[in-house]
Amino acid sequence: MPGPVSVHSFIPPYLLHRMIDHGSQRQRSCASQTLSHVRNLLHNPGPPGHLPQPSAVAERGEPRQLRRSVHDAQNRELLPGQVVRVEGQGATGDAAVDEAYDALGATHGFFLDAFERDSIDNRGFALVGTVHYGEGYQNAFWNGSQMVFGDGDGELFNRFTRALDVVAHELAHGVTESEAGLIYANQSGALNESLSDVFGVLTQQYVRQQPADQADWLIGADLLTERVQGVALRSMAAPGTAYDDPVLGKDPQPGHMRDFVQTRDDNGGVHINSGIPNRAFYLAALAIGGFAWERAGRIWYDTLCDRRLSNVAEFDEFAALTIAHAQRRFSGEPGVGRAVEEAWRQVGVNVKEIPA
Amino acid sequence: MKQLPPLGADTVVRLSRQGGVAAMPGLARPREIDFAQCDADQRTQICSLIEGCLPLADTSASGRGDQRFYRIEMRYRVQEQDDELVLQVPENHAPSELVRLWDKGQLV
Repeated sequence: MPGPVSVHSFIPPYLLHRMIDHGSQRQRSCASQTLSHVRNLLHNPGPPGHLPQPSAVAERGEPRQLRRSVHDAQNRELLPGQVVRVEGQGATGDAAVDEAYDALGATHGFFLDAFERDSIDNRGFALVGTVHYGEGYQNAFWNGSQMVFGDGDGELFNRFTRALDVVAHELAHGVTESEAGLIYANQSGALNESLSDVFGVLTQQYVRQQPADQADWLIGADLLTERVQGVALRSMAAPGTAYDDPVLGKDPQPGHMRDFVQTRDDNGGVHINSGIPNRAFYLAALAIGGFAWERAGRIWYDTLCDRRLSNVAEFDEFAALTIAHAQRRFSGEPGVGRAVEEAWRQVGVNVKEIPA
Repeated sequence: MKQLPPLGADTVVRLSRQGGVAAMPGLARPREIDFAQCDADQRTQICSLIEGCLPLADTSASGRGDQRFYRIEMRYRVQEQDDELVLQVPENHAPSELVRLWDKGQLV
């Protein structure tokens, strides 16, 4: 007798995306329809079953206890590198090491204070960072178990640990992975990127104790050297205006759905179309006023942790949930829900029906 | 076993490096290689290089968490029809020959 049909028998969305990218015309059409159908059916399956174990000396500690280790890749591209500072040890005098250590601590503190979240997995996940990765390496990333920071080339980019919002952005990728698990492609990938930008700027604003109307809403303002014609990697307030440089090109981010970029590059424009939800967050935070992490940030965090958010969510699904959370958490302040709804309307996202 | 389709003289290969927290257009530096401009040895070398990337390619996960990746797009004709194959190779798995071809436009 056949057993029950498992929900896991669905073709995974990434395979559908692959078919859309590489299949024949018929395969592309079928995969597109299936993906759209699956989006309407699937709720979030919950956090991934596992996160890779941190490859460092730090171990899981007591609840809410910060556990950091910083490693030195010594300009090679091997992880995690040599451990150079662990929790409780004093400054080393190496700016990248100490910046990474401090920024990881600040980000952990922000998530704990603002959202009562205990590290990446909310269970005290040890924070591992590697600095001096590669030669003149122009990037920082989260590899599924740790954060990695390049020194930058010195001509276009400073060392990536200089930017607290960028360090927090990478750590937030771990948080998103352990909650909604938003697939890193197309609109769900752009939401994944946007959430990292949101929690990145919020960490910075929290450390500076800046209200929304006094913040610059830039991502990576400390990263670009003076030679670059630009102010940052991205602008949440005015997507598309962060840089216009002969070498780096022009900031391609849209801030409204009418300018949504259809592309197969950048995993379907995850770093491009994130400008739209980024601006929605900025507009909501500004309209609500005060410290952005207290209301808008809390609403976005609640949405990220909501099991109804599917891992292939598009902007309209995400928007609907933010409005629902605004109305629920701030039921005594109806202006908050209205501000969130208006923010999405201003960026051209038509709010979908809220999932049951 | 994964195999490349036959890539004839009408093939164009586009290589770019994408992703990263600083995913800026100028950093992708796409490079187009027109097989019509290559000799037979060069084509063989490029095909062999790309074939070596087949098991390394991971379209679904590459780029996750701001990790950079190399995107290899091949446009070719097969049985008198245009077709395309796209591979994405995570940066930490990319063979040095691929990086060199993208960066310098040189084969070993």
